[in-house]
Amino acid sequence: MSPDAGGTVASFDLTVNGTRRSVAAGPFTRLTTVLRDELGLTGTKVGCDAGDCGACTVLLDGRQVCACLVPLGQAAGREVITVEGLARDGQLSALQRSFHLHGAAQCGVCTPGMLMAAADLLARVARPTVQQVEDALGGVLCRCTGYRKIVEAVLAVPDLPAEGNAPSEAPAVGQGLARRDGPPKVAGTDRFGADAAPAGALWLRAVRSPHARARFTLGDLQPLYDRWPGLLRVLTAADVPGENAYGIYPHLKDQPVLAAGAVRYRGEAVLALLGDRDTVENVPVEAIPLTWEPLDPVIGTEAATAADAPQLHAESAGNVLIRGFVEKGTPDAAFSGAAAASEGTWRTGFVEHAYIEPEAGYAEPTPDGRLTVYGCTQAPYMDRDEVARVTGLQPEQVRILPSACGGGFGGKLDVAIQPLLAVAAQVTGRPVRGVFSRTESMAATTKRHPSVIRARAAAEADGRLRALDFEGDFNTGAYASWGPTVAGRVPVHASGPYCVPHVRVRSRAIYTNETPAGAFRGFGVPQAAIAHECLMDDLAERLAIDPLEFRHINALRPGDATATGQVLEHSAGLAACLDALRPQWQALRAKAEAFNVTTDGRTRRGVGVGCMWYGCGNTALANPSEMRVVLGRDGRLTLYNGAVDIGQGSATVMLQICADALGLPPAALEQVVGDTDLTPDAGKTSASRQTFVSGKAAQIAGEDLRAQLLRLANAGPEAKLRLADGVVEVDDGGPTRTIELARLSADLEGRGRFDPPTTPLDEKGQGVPYATYGFAAQLAALSVDLDLGTVKLHRIVAAHDLGKAVNPMLVEGQIHGGIAQGIGLALMEEYLPGRTENLHDYLIPSFGDVPEIEIHLVEDAEPLGPFGAKGIGEPALVPTAPAIFGAIRHATGVVVRQAPALPHRLRALLREAGHG
Amino acid sequence: MYAFNYHRPNSLDAAAQALAANEDAKLLAGGQTMLPTMKQRLAMPSDLIDLSGIAELRGVCEDGDAVVVGAMTTHAEVAANEIVRSKIPALAKLADGIGDPQVRNRGTLGGSIANADPAADYPAAVVGLGATVKTNKREIAADDFFVGLFETALEPGELVVSVRFPVPEAAAYAKFDHPASRYAIVGVMVARTGGGVRVGITGAAPSAFRQTEMEQALAGNFAPDALDGISVSADGLNGDIHASAEYRAHLVGVMAKRAVIAARG
Repeated sequence: MSPDAGGTVASFDLTVNGTRRSVAAGPFTRLTTVLRDELGLTGTKVGCDAGDCGACTVLLDGRQVCACLVPLGQAAGREVITVEGLARDGQLSALQRSFHLHGAAQCGVCTPGMLMAAADLLARVARPTVQQVEDALGGVLCRCTGYRKIVEAVLAVPDLPAEGNAPSEAPAVGQGLARRDGPPKVAGTDRFGADAAPAGALWLRAVRSPHARARFTLGDLQPLYDRWPGLLRVLTAADVPGENAYGIYPHLKDQPVLAAGAVRYRGEAVLALLGDRDTVENVPVEAIPLTWEPLDPVIGTEAATAADAPQLHAESAGNVLIRGFVEKGTPDAAFSGAAAASEGTWRTGFVEHAYIEPEAGYAEPTPDGRLTVYGCTQAPYMDRDEVARVTGLQPEQVRILPSACGGGFGGKLDVAIQPLLAVAAQVTGRPVRGVFSRTESMAATTKRHPSVIRARAAAEADGRLRALDFEGDFNTGAYASWGPTVAGRVPVHASGPYCVPHVRVRSRAIYTNETPAGAFRGFGVPQAAIAHECLMDDLAERLAIDPLEFRHINALRPGDATATGQVLEHSAGLAACLDALRPQWQALRAKAEAFNVTTDGRTRRGVGVGCMWYGCGNTALANPSEMRVVLGRDGRLTLYNGAVDIGQGSATVMLQICADALGLPPAALEQVVGDTDLTPDAGKTSASRQTFVSGKAAQIAGEDLRAQLLRLANAGPEAKLRLADGVVEVDDGGPTRTIELARLSADLEGRGRFDPPTTPLDEKGQGVPYATYGFAAQLAALSVDLDLGTVKLHRIVAAHDLGKAVNPMLVEGQIHGGIAQGIGLALMEEYLPGRTENLHDYLIPSFGDVPEIEIHLVEDAEPLGPFGAKGIGEPALVPTAPAIFGAIRHATGVVVRQAPALPHRLRALLREAGHG
Repeated sequence: MYAFNYHRPNSLDAAAQALAANEDAKLLAGGQTMLPTMKQRLAMPSDLIDLSGIAELRGVCEDGDAVVVGAMTTHAEVAANEIVRSKIPALAKLADGIGDPQVRNRGTLGGSIANADPAADYPAAVVGLGATVKTNKREIAADDFFVGLFETALEPGELVVSVRFPVPEAAAYAKFDHPASRYAIVGVMVARTGGGVRVGITGAAPSAFRQTEMEQALAGNFAPDALDGISVSADGLNGDIHASAEYRAHLVGVMAKRAVIAARG
């Protein structure tokens, strides 16, 4: 028993999901611990242990409570209902089915909490209003969905039809099928990183630096071992059996598993405690013989690039990790004589991914000398190679077994807990498990890069852009992580989705003593978009051209050359996106302006627009995916899909694509997802690449298997296939032919590989960095309270060119979720190391912050993509903040150049602008 | 190693005895603050006395021209209570705006005011409505109850039994809430009573306080315009990452006006 569980262990009776249970534990044990660890009910999730996230919401005597804040002693004698108690006789409840059918569960880690809050509401209000749903579920945070589909799902419960949708004969691509992995998410049976571990696993806790920059020494550990018999081992840098360094890029393995004598950021891992759970969780940090020598930390890119700044990494002169550069035309000369020009400086801060599932998993040595690492990840193959590096094993000796991933957004593209677990398991020869606390997850893992951007742009009198000059410094924190990706991607995108003849973009990723900044939905492009979209509004204003029409004039179209000189041949649908927005734009702008002249003026309304483009996949680098689909002699058809689904839905999308390519329904396919022993490498779930790249590989694999079947049956390309009971029936118009799979000499296997065609960029950044780009435009309608400096969003209209919506429901989910994160970037989110390492000081949007969203899908097909599709994950987020800032400007005349526009900051700008 | 004793008395007397017997004891009400505080070792009492088994601490009743709320009554119960809703709707609305539904189903009036978090909502009601706090030993006037940051007039061995809220002629609570926790960055309870006007402010300073200049102005003219020209100093106000002291001072004026407008109906 944990020593803080209160007094002595006693037996407490409570009713859980209708069954009387006796639990022997301390009275101050959290109800979450009782449910998960004593009763095995892991459907109740732990996201923060502080009552902030609501993932652990259960019903206590019929009312929703955070189980993490209920001591066992106060649950005794009462009735507890968890997500596992919602289904009846193995049948999902109407509420659970509604969540599933409406796409209300993406990653699924908040889903149990959402369901329980909704169950509380629906027990009292049969037909709730939107407001009642938002109020009742308002204590549960979701980072994936943007909440709208959750509201829809709850509203739909009273009228949900009974089950029994007949399988459709129509092509699967284009249908909004419910997720393949949805039922376990709504049932609470999906297994996340913290939900499974081998029996007898040791627990691991990292001891982390309280200083941003310091040297340290470790004293004698014997007294610690003597005091805590349950402490089996304290690991230090010297214990790392392989290379004590990992990182994303082959030449940038700069982050240690455990720091060796010096730390570069607050939260860096220094030691790992191994032992029984109670011991490792309760050893006070003061008892650990660490002696610190704090040094002055380098905070911010200005300090890091100052002449007298200390050098943080020996190889990086001036603390510049890397530079990016794109130049086209003669930008210096182009600014003179332009009809309109504008310039400015923009700043953004650290942004935290705030996935609701903190990092968790286990590592287990297997009898054949290999190592299995289980846990949440976006990049199993990259994890495999990093685990191999730090353990000294060969990559083939490591198996990455992804758990369900409770949100990623780029934050789980880096290894974080995996090297610690793997090293500990390798050193001890025993299984080792660990779960990051919320605070630890926030303090230790990567963030969105803070940026300082100086830029200017110029246009002709008719509104055509002439030149754009951009310099961006990106704070990459203590270690390289994905800094080079940001520095490389930004220059390609920094002139926006526009045709600009003269462009120069310089970017730098700069080391500091702050939290490492890595990958976060957009890789620097959202920060750049805030700057270029502000410049578009500036120029439109100066030339007295409507902001939307100004963008329409300049939109990249097929035949136009980008800043890297790439001529877009297909699928450049920005103008069509703007066309889709125009009616709403004009109506909402007029309405806002009318409101502003007819009211007291202390609340002002505005409408703004933001545009974006986003290259799908790696920047000017190879980026292949492979897929394998096997039709076994046992009659089973299985897609071996290495593209991990972190909630966005690729485990459903790949099936739809492969099924249509093969000519069988998705229901015929089973699936193995992201197991490095079984699935070929489908790259990482990032860069909006899975649908485009892995989807294409799934299509080719399906076509390959289909071709084999048609050859066996000697059938033509239009033949219809049917699979049942180990037999494939092939209908080619004539007599049906059959293939008895059991009679084949081997299983049939279709393979697909796709690497999007790109070229390296030359010294001026010219070339073809991406095979295709997503385009989008969004408008935001809002009101500004001039007295408070607060912003209330009324509506977002989003138009996205994604080539082809393979699954429109999942696409909408991505757009909703991206917009929610864009709202956070614009108005709420600013991570301050040491100060916002929790989900109450770090603000993410909740129900009331995400307005109604209207979506227009523009399907300008990409010939390279599967059935014309390209990516949507990141494009969804990028235009939102610029649209919001444009709307604030329309409402008040105030130009926001620092994100987030927190109320006190906006209020200060309003005062400066004379708004009292 | 940290361990403590857990008590769950079923009467007020037993609770008071347990409290008197253990100098380092702490009281557990709804646990929304105490549980995370103790799990983080920010409080390490020798004994924890759980008040949730004491029926007499729970419930709402009318007492003359006042409403009496038991210390262990949850925020959700106050928000839904018919007496509160009909007699002091501003109090019901305040309770309905505390935290989120999970907090409202567990958190209690007594726990809130005894903790005296500078950003809690209830202190604005206690001060703004001129309530009286009844303990196991005495009655404490609102003006004397909140002493400082997380500090009240409660003495060792003393526990809150109930709070008596006089029914005002008109009252309203307006708050600028923290977007995540829904704590008050600034919350203002304005109440007009037979005896004058009270303005109770929470969130702005280390503890809840009355804004007497506003009270005097509103006593003469219970209208938002009456507050024009009253400038609130930022001196001594809270400043943090969510709002500077200057911004809070500004919010006091704005939210007070909005409370007056709401109270006028």
